[in-house]
This record gives sequence, structure tokens and C-alpha cells, in this order.
Amino acid sequence: MNTTVKQMILLFLISAGVLIPSFSFCDDYMNIDEEAFTKKQRPFVSFNHDEHNEMAGLEEDCALCHHMYEDGKLVEDESSEDMACSECHAKENDPKQMELAATYHKRCRECHVEKKQGPITCGACHKKVK
Amino acid sequence: MHDIYAILTGPLAWLSFAVFLGGSLYRFISLYQLARKKDGAVFQYMDLKFALRSIAHWLTPFGAKNMRMNPAMTVVTFAFHIALFIAPLFVFAHVVLIEESFGIHWFTLPDSVADILSIIVVLSCVFFFARRIMRPEVKFLTTWVDIVILIIVAAPFATGVWVFHQWAGFPTMTLVHIFSGELMLAIIPFTKLFHMFLFPFTRGYIGSEFGGVRMAKDW
Repeated sequence: MNTTVKQMILLFLISAGVLIPSFSFCDDYMNIDEEAFTKKQRPFVSFNHDEHNEMAGLEEDCALCHHMYEDGKLVEDESSEDMACSECHAKENDPKQMELAATYHKRCRECHVEKKQGPITCGACHKKVK
Repeated sequence: MHDIYAILTGPLAWLSFAVFLGGSLYRFISLYQLARKKDGAVFQYMDLKFALRSIAHWLTPFGAKNMRMNPAMTVVTFAFHIALFIAPLFVFAHVVLIEESFGIHWFTLPDSVADILSIIVVLSCVFFFARRIMRPEVKFLTTWVDIVILIIVAAPFATGVWVFHQWAGFPTMTLVHIFSGELMLAIIPFTKLFHMFLFPFTRGYIGSEFGGVRMAKDW
């Protein structure tokens, strides 16, 4: 094998070694409810669900976020993991989804302020893609 | 960070609005009483027609002779005042916070427009600063308070641009942004920024005083 081919193979292996783990790493991240926001204002929030809940000690407490309301009343011992937040919180005919965005902000920020942990400023969640 | 944020967005936010509204009300009442006591002629001179005419002229770009004499100042001051109000009231990030706290929202600007408006405010403040130190007749009237006020007005907009672009240290800068906005609001009643409310009265009085007679050298 000549040197150029060897270098090409080496380069391929290095880039595969870098890319494959980073792809699988990205798998843990989710863009929450991305389809609901048709007119995006800020860089989308990428959220690592499992890592967040492990750090926050929330593995058993799904209904803290995935709550269930019926007739405006919180249903105890019921959770809604199989639903998207937008199923209840989105408003029709609002491309900016102001109310849904506000619901997310309050859910995340109020907890972070209370626990004194986690991001609270706009840009700390809505990170600009560099 | 979290504690400071909680104070800035909680009690301090309410305090700044209370000082702004309460202070403005106090200033209105005390200035009215002062005028009644010391300068009753003001009320006799007041003439609705001449007052409104003068106010209308001064709200129209190049509508007053003084503005035609200072075109650069006229362009900058109009751009500045328009951007100063439009940017904070209609930037998406602020309106979504209003929605979070009060459950209401209104029209929002594209972020790029709000960005440009904020930069206009900052550059205008730089212009006003340069004018204050370079123009002899303005320099003569300038004190350190005027410079501090300019910095306080520019600060929320400069930091707003900073956090929007997420430049280095933006999380801390977000706290500075919130604080500087509250500070600006709170000093309005007690500084010359109070012209935002007094303008119709001072302008209206001057307009009434000269009435139909212009350029009368009666001082």
C-alpha cells in the first residue's frame, strides 16, 4: 500500500473514532416538542433527559413534569409520559407558541431557582450553535 | 447566581416599578405645588392651542427650527427615542417573560430587528456623550451626573446585545442586564430622565409663552 492510501485509511479511522461516539452521545439529547414550534425564535433547547433526572434525583418522580390535569385539577398518582407537552399546552394559530414557551420556561426555571441548581438565564438553555 | 437572580427578578423588580410609579407621582404633585407657590404666572400663560402646536412641532422630525439647525442631533435623538421604547417593549424575550408572569402577551419583533434597535440606542448614547464633551455650549452645562445617566441608559441595551449574542460571561451579564434595567426605571423620577413625563408641560409652557411671537429677544 502506498503512503497516500495508508494516510487516507488512518484519517478515516480517526474521524470514525471521533464521530461515532459523538453520534451516540447525541442520541441521549432530545429537542423537546420541536414540531410544536413552527416559528422558532431561539436556538432549540437540547435536553438530556436521563442525565438531568439522575443528577436531580428525579428517577421516580416522573409526574413532577409529566403531570396530569383533569378539569383543571391535578390528578394524583397519574403521569403523562406518553404525551407531548404541546398536546395540552400548545395554542392553535400561534406560530410562536408563546404560551407553550412560557410553560416550559416556568417549569424549568422555577425548579432551578428553588433548588439553586441548573441554568436560569436565557442563553444557558438556548445555546447558540457555534 | 441563583439567589441574586431570585432577588433581581422578584423583590427588586417590584421595588423598581414601585419607585418608578410612586416617585413619578410624587414628583408630579411636588412640582405642581412648587409652581403654584413660586410661579403662578405659569398657569396664566398656559394656552392649549399654542401648547399643542409647539408639542406637535417638537414631536415631528425637523418640525422645529432648532432641529433644522442641528440635523445630526435631530436624526440621532429621534432614532434613539424610538428605539429606546420599541426594543424593550417588543423584544420576544421580554414578552415571553410577561406571558410567564401575567399570562398576557403581544406583538413581538424579530430578534434581528430588536438587536439593531438596541445597537442604535447604545451608539446614540455614545453620540450624546461625545456631544456633551465636545460642544462648548453643552460642555458648559454638563456635570458628572449627566454622564452617569447616559451610562445607566446605555447599560441595559449594551448588556442586552451582549446576552443575546451570548458573548463571554453572558450568564453574569444577564444579571447585570436585569439590574441595569431596574436601575434605569428607578432613577427616572429623580433625574432629568423625568422629561419623559414632563416634556408635554415644559414644551407646552414654552410654546404658550412665546405664542405667536417668534425670535422675540425679550430675555
